[in-house]
Amino acid sequence: MVPILLGVILLAPLGAVIGCLGIRHPRFVELLNLAAAVSVFLAVLVLLPLALAGPYLFWGGYLIVDPLSAWVLLSVASVYLLASIYAIGYMRSSPDRDLYRFYALFAGFGLTTLAGPLMNNVGVYWIAIELTTLVSTFLVCFELGRESIEAAWKYIVIVSGGISLALLGIIFYYWGGSLIVGATYDLTWAMLRHVAPQVDHTIGLMSFLLVFIGFGTKVGLAPMHTWLPDAHSEGPAPVSAMLSGALLNTAMVGIVRFIQVSDAAQLGLMPRTVVVSIGALSLFVAALFITRQTGIKRLMAYSSVEHMGVMALGFGFGGPLGVAGALYHMLGHSLNKSLMFFGAGNAMHVFHSKRIGRMHRVLSRMPVSGLLWLAGAVAITGAPPFGLFPGEFTILRAGLAGPNGWAALIMLILLIVIFVGFLNHFRAMYFGHAMKPRDETRHVPDRSAAERHEPLSGWCLVPMWLALIPLLVLGLWWPQSFMHYFSAIATELSMGGSP
Amino acid sequence: MFAAQLPPLAASLFSLVAIASLLLSFVMLGSRWLTDYLVAFAAQSWLIACLSAAIGYYGHFPELYVIAALTALFRGVVLPYLILGIIKRLDVDREMHERLSPSACLVVGALLVLFAFLISSHLGQALGLSGTVAVLALTVMLSMKLIGFLMLTVRNEALSQILALLVLENGIFLGSQILVPGMPLLIELVILFDLLVVVACFGVLVRFLLAQTGTSDASRLRRLVG
Amino acid sequence: MRDVWLQVAQVLTVIALAPLLQGVILQWEERVQRARGPGIFQPYRDLWKLFHKQGVVPHSASFIYWIAPIVAFTCMLTVPILIPVLTDFPLPESDMGDILGGGLILTLGSFFITLAGLDSGSAYGGIGSSRAVMLAILAEPTLILVFVGITLLAKAMLPFVVNHLLVAQPAVYWSPAHLFLVAAFFILLLVETDRLPIHSSTHIEVYMIDEARILEYSGPLLALLKWASMMKQFILYTIFCNVLLLPWGLSRRGAALGALAAAGALFAKFLLVALTVVFVETAQSRLRYYRYQEPLAVSFLLAVLAIVANQLR
Repeated sequence: MVPILLGVILLAPLGAVIGCLGIRHPRFVELLNLAAAVSVFLAVLVLLPLALAGPYLFWGGYLIVDPLSAWVLLSVASVYLLASIYAIGYMRSSPDRDLYRFYALFAGFGLTTLAGPLMNNVGVYWIAIELTTLVSTFLVCFELGRESIEAAWKYIVIVSGGISLALLGIIFYYWGGSLIVGATYDLTWAMLRHVAPQVDHTIGLMSFLLVFIGFGTKVGLAPMHTWLPDAHSEGPAPVSAMLSGALLNTAMVGIVRFIQVSDAAQLGLMPRTVVVSIGALSLFVAALFITRQTGIKRLMAYSSVEHMGVMALGFGFGGPLGVAGALYHMLGHSLNKSLMFFGAGNAMHVFHSKRIGRMHRVLSRMPVSGLLWLAGAVAITGAPPFGLFPGEFTILRAGLAGPNGWAALIMLILLIVIFVGFLNHFRAMYFGHAMKPRDETRHVPDRSAAERHEPLSGWCLVPMWLALIPLLVLGLWWPQSFMHYFSAIATELSMGGSP
Repeated sequence: MFAAQLPPLAASLFSLVAIASLLLSFVMLGSRWLTDYLVAFAAQSWLIACLSAAIGYYGHFPELYVIAALTALFRGVVLPYLILGIIKRLDVDREMHERLSPSACLVVGALLVLFAFLISSHLGQALGLSGTVAVLALTVMLSMKLIGFLMLTVRNEALSQILALLVLENGIFLGSQILVPGMPLLIELVILFDLLVVVACFGVLVRFLLAQTGTSDASRLRRLVG
Repeated sequence: MRDVWLQVAQVLTVIALAPLLQGVILQWEERVQRARGPGIFQPYRDLWKLFHKQGVVPHSASFIYWIAPIVAFTCMLTVPILIPVLTDFPLPESDMGDILGGGLILTLGSFFITLAGLDSGSAYGGIGSSRAVMLAILAEPTLILVFVGITLLAKAMLPFVVNHLLVAQPAVYWSPAHLFLVAAFFILLLVETDRLPIHSSTHIEVYMIDEARILEYSGPLLALLKWASMMKQFILYTIFCNVLLLPWGLSRRGAALGALAAAGALFAKFLLVALTVVFVETAQSRLRYYRYQEPLAVSFLLAVLAIVANQLR
């Protein structure tokens, strides 16, 4: 059963890529991508309980299906589905420019992001991450323009440089292991954990730091986050949702698995302290930039930095509570960030501007979408009754109970700061005063009146509902099955070895 | 460990090749002309291919001959050819506004080599490997990475940034050949092909960059702030 | 007793042959540029002429003006005692100073000439002194670094030990550490003997670096200064060849015939190096003065790489 599901998960997007490049009719490529996304999501849903039965290895040990990868696949697949639905509506309203290229790249992006958590071989995992960078660069600069090409250039240069550090760390660790086991051995996560206790501590620590900084560049932790606001704000909205909601999670898997390896190597308190500090720094940087932000999508991007910091804190605190909180947060963040980017895309479509200062009286211009967006904004700052609140609360509990309690306090203060700063922007957009006359004259009226009041298509609204309702449910009810799932993952991660 | 028990001739051969590669990366750091970078990069790739072949010979790793041939072909011929195509399209031939003059870069690079040397000798002492070619391999690998990042930081031309990323990869490859020659073949092959894809993507991106901003100078990309 | 004679002979060799080396270099430079050249014995004729001329002293000159040429000449007389010129075994008083000591004395002479350039208050003297000092700011630390590299290579600070090491072990001779040191020292040689492709060999003040310092001198004092700079060049070439590059051809037992043959071999080695220097200087067009940092940065880099490569040997 599991191999069939894996085949669906990997081959459906691949088929979509080939199909989009083969038949270039716009409606066909939209539906093909959507079909691939739906089938992937259903396959992942079926895979989720099956994965609990322990790690399965396929293809000569190159693919692994264990609870952690299944959970990450759930977040990725849900974002892929939601973004595919939204993309149909969004891309239809933009000029019809080679839609087949967009959907081929989009399906390719989905494929590489789904492949990441499934990779058992560390080198192949690294290559999957590198491929996601390459594919998403072209998606970021899809709407060609000065800013988008600048964003794409910064993205690819910074991230490629960063993950080359991760490769250095992996090779160091392999070298440390080769001093013990012999010159040739499999570069799998399990093998790394196996040699971990005997690897020299200096090598182990150095390679952990290199891998953390390297993959941390991809995840978007400060101070390596400088590409993130640009790349996430310049791409089309469905691409931003995929980048924030799916790709960052895939890169996080690498960090989590390497934390597991470093725990097995018993390097002391230093690795987790570093993870926690960088998480706290990400929250701090995000808080500063959110408070004084002028672009709506950059605001969402910094919110991604914040939530990645929270997840790093969760995984850094460790233990059953920390891991459970971080994983719950992962799913909640994926849904919520997609919701926010969809709302931002709708707002940009209605107001024809990216700047927060230009968006006024949102509820009067887009009633339903605006209400959903406001709910999403309240959710993403961690307020109950939505799904991010239990996750952050659990992470705080884990932090206060562990050795890095200071980080939990910093997290608390910064979350409050972000709450105020983020919702302040929304207050200005929804309930603020109208534009001053001075700004009115500078606004270039370049669209016809009919187009300005073009209603948002249903394709743009449905994914917002689909994202918000599970978020609300997750906030009100923490299912026992999830708890069971998380504790399985936490046991695996903290024991430093798979059962 | 392979590198710890080598006949002296092999050890001096490896150290000569490694130091020559490091010297070539300094040539890249210290010159302003883009074609000079490229020639130095190609020469460095060829040297590393020779190193692979030598390690395959002395360590009895026959698959390394394949890697050496592929490295010489892809990193030494195909990549420079692709980048030469990009240079021709660019119509720039030198680095105009670097943030740090080439001579100051050379001095900073020398200090970075000293730093890498300190780390590697410390590590070598901790592992009992000091005095072998492994410490040299570590030094060269770390210094090439540091020099690559230095180039990324101070150079403004798009092409210099591409070449700096490739120098980073070259450094890792050099180190991995000496330190872990037994690494699975598949990984090395895929990384090699991955580089090709990276450079191809960069070629397309540079074309977009030229078309949209009219210049390939990355220091002009200043519109996205905050 | 014989060793004392050999020591004196070393100093006399330096005094006697220094102008010949300068003459050869200048003649070859002219020949490369397809001119006839003044002949290789011209510096001797110039010194003879200058000693027979009357010296003219500026009004504003102080005691520095008088003692600088004497100090410089004396320093250049002292250094050949410390380095292997004719023999490869240490002669009496050669442990008076090691490699760093020799460098110190050379720099002392140069320092006094720089002071003399400032002393008379003329504009060209000031330019020459400031340019020479600017070069020295980068060149002296690099020179010390090269000396450190040589010391680490041989694990001793005496030039004789280095010489023996390089002759006895070809593996060390061909090691990257030694080759980098040779390259670094070659660049420093160009800088110290004022043969960078920045100055021009014609007597134009704008291009001068070291020569501008002595523009106020005339007569016997000028002769002493010129002789001192020619001896400095000879000494640097000696260190370069006999210690680093071509350490063979020195007298082993100190017989008279051996010493003469060593002097001849010395000159032959110098011709090789002089050829390279002439080639480097004439093949490159004149650069702006501020490009002086580039060869010095390369020299610094090579010295650092040599030290690192040496530790990993």
